[in-house]
Amino acid sequence: MKFWLGRTGSILLAFALCAGIQLLADQQSDFVQRLIVLAGLYVTLAVSLNLINGITGQFSMGHAAFYQIGAYTAGFIAMKFYAGAKLPPELWMILSLLTGAAVASVAGLIVGLPSLRLKGDYLAIVTLGFGEIIRIIVQNQPAIGGAYGLSVAPRFEMIWLVWLLAILCIAVCRNLLKTAHGLQFLAVREDEVASSAMGVNVTRTKVTAFLLGSAFAGAAGALLAHFEGFVSPKMFTMDVSFIIVTMVVLGGTGSITGATLAAIGLFFLPEKMRDLPNFPLGNLVATGIGIVIMVIGFRHIAANFHGKMVERVLRYLAILAIAVVIALVLGPIVSKLPTLGVPVEGAKLRMVVFAVTLIVLMLLRPQGIFAHHEFSWAWLRKVLRIDTDKKVTA
Amino acid sequence: MAGLELSTLPQQLVNGILLGSIYALIALGYTMVYGVLKLINFAHGEVFMIGAYAALFASWGLGYTPNNAMSGSNPINLLIMLLASMTLCGLLGVLIERFAYRPMRNQPRIASLITAIGVSLLLQYGGQLFLPSSPAPNIDAKVNPYQDNITIPLRPVDGTLVAAAKQLEAKQIETKTAFDGYLERTKESPFQLSAAGQPFKKAAQDAERDLRTAEGKAEASGLSIRLPKGQMIMLVTTVVLMALLNFLVMHTKPGRAMRAASHDFDAASLMGINVNSTITFTFLIGSALAGAGAMMNATFLSGTKIDTFFGMLPGVKAFVAAVLGGIGNIPGAVLGGILMGLAETLVVWAGYDSYRDAIAFIVLIIVLLFKPGGLLGSNKVEKV
Repeated sequence: MKFWLGRTGSILLAFALCAGIQLLADQQSDFVQRLIVLAGLYVTLAVSLNLINGITGQFSMGHAAFYQIGAYTAGFIAMKFYAGAKLPPELWMILSLLTGAAVASVAGLIVGLPSLRLKGDYLAIVTLGFGEIIRIIVQNQPAIGGAYGLSVAPRFEMIWLVWLLAILCIAVCRNLLKTAHGLQFLAVREDEVASSAMGVNVTRTKVTAFLLGSAFAGAAGALLAHFEGFVSPKMFTMDVSFIIVTMVVLGGTGSITGATLAAIGLFFLPEKMRDLPNFPLGNLVATGIGIVIMVIGFRHIAANFHGKMVERVLRYLAILAIAVVIALVLGPIVSKLPTLGVPVEGAKLRMVVFAVTLIVLMLLRPQGIFAHHEFSWAWLRKVLRIDTDKKVTA
Repeated sequence: MAGLELSTLPQQLVNGILLGSIYALIALGYTMVYGVLKLINFAHGEVFMIGAYAALFASWGLGYTPNNAMSGSNPINLLIMLLASMTLCGLLGVLIERFAYRPMRNQPRIASLITAIGVSLLLQYGGQLFLPSSPAPNIDAKVNPYQDNITIPLRPVDGTLVAAAKQLEAKQIETKTAFDGYLERTKESPFQLSAAGQPFKKAAQDAERDLRTAEGKAEASGLSIRLPKGQMIMLVTTVVLMALLNFLVMHTKPGRAMRAASHDFDAASLMGINVNSTITFTFLIGSALAGAGAMMNATFLSGTKIDTFFGMLPGVKAFVAAVLGGIGNIPGAVLGGILMGLAETLVVWAGYDSYRDAIAFIVLIIVLLFKPGGLLGSNKVEKV
């Protein structure tokens, strides 16, 4: 009884939250609305990719393809069938979400099948290849706009639905991990041979992960199509897949909390950088030097310092301060040099940030910020009660 | 879809082999690094891109800037560009290995792969900040002293058609002189003719058209293969570099160390092989080969536009070539490269132009699913 009360309460809370987001967004400018929508979509994408990459351990890099399939499906059915269907917009949107998810999960099944034979970096390359093939095929179909793109004719912007999908995705993944079914996914990640010896159906688990992950990406794509009002193959290049992979890896492969937070953070950061003013190249070089000093210092501490946790954290902070100071001081000096004084467009730094994040993260903490840990109330209580020593390890 | 023109097939095959020789050079880098480190060096394509830029800057340094007054060139210039590109790429490869891959060596392989993607993205997008990329520059064609073609006739031209064309030529000259004479007499502009001049113009135009058609027919009756000299040099250089590499790997001490490290990393280090310097050496050689490929691609396939994404597709195709030939296998990489070049030109030849970049991935998926060891690779299925 208590369980069902909690469950109903959570569902109602989720709806209330989404309604709140919609009310909040209604008063904002178009740009802010766009940010809210894209943040929700990226959360869905990152969490759904996390199900494949992090929880099941099948490193897939073609998530943009499922996103694309969902978007095109939604655009296509809106063009062909909306006029004849005579449905209220809400119902139509849910229907197009489901259709997008279904078509994308068929593609997920096709992509997931090679995962039965491939592992690790080979699987990564093949999924990347599938993503590109799907994009090139779409680009060559005149029926859905070809390279030019497809406009989504009756379009409905529903911000609450975007966040409802994100919450649904998080809830599905979280609840999956609480059940015996979810343990199968984790078992496959840890050791395929051992888990199949324990009676886990490895094939079915992997395919299920791909199906679920791609279905959510497809649903997100359907929402994107309706929000943008236009879809084109250029919106779903390899870069998008890389961005989603970066989010999952940064958050900690396997951590839903990590994927969610990383998606929000990594998505907002480059959006902010779009309106960065031009600055001299020297500053960039100095920042690069600062980052290198930080990485070297952090690695040195991690390898050589074995004292108390507080002292260790202090040392990290000291290195960070030194790196920041060096970057700030060196910037204006280096910019005096003629070749390094050239102005650089801040907007061009978007993808550079992702690249540097990936490299620095792999050098310092390859398991990601949250590693396998999840947010939970029990964890919060523990953190608040216990002294600082254990806080960092938790 | 265009019909399959069998008469152009031999030329396309030759083009495919020439293109494939570049893929082969890049594929060697992938295969060597994979052989030793079991790492897909995702940034290899970007090393190739930097090599093209190095060749571009070297050519600018030699005076072949976009609006230059240089008239000729000589082979020394090409050699300088080649060396500049190979040196810079070699150094870049060593730097990437030292600072990005070596710290990751004890981590799971997927972490190295992510780092490699990061390095690749950094070079692509970071390069945009430093390197000239829009509008995309290209190496001046004048730097290549070997502009002409070697033509190999396969089927001689039909004599009767040539004779027919010759006959028409006389008529064309006759009508043209008549028309010119008319213009001379009346001082009219050929574009604003009076009614009296029109028949002359029509006769001259008809005769000219007939002549060109007949000439075209005569030419099409013969069959020949055009071999651009520059690209032949490219092929020869590739073959020489591969022979050198084979010698290096098979008959020298560093090569033996390389083979030992690729066979068993730990055992090799126990036998007194300095594994770190062996890996550095592998990266040096592999990247220098990519640099050579980049220089030749950008110089001899004239008009090739260079931007910071220049290396991505050749990189992917060369990786597929390495997998196709059997990754870790040097002759396999060469075979795979040539086959990839052929596959690509044949797809274009068959009329599926827009799928030329997808073919690489299709080949990759087919190979990995049905013969994961590759054509010449061992059958020991370790990854798959």
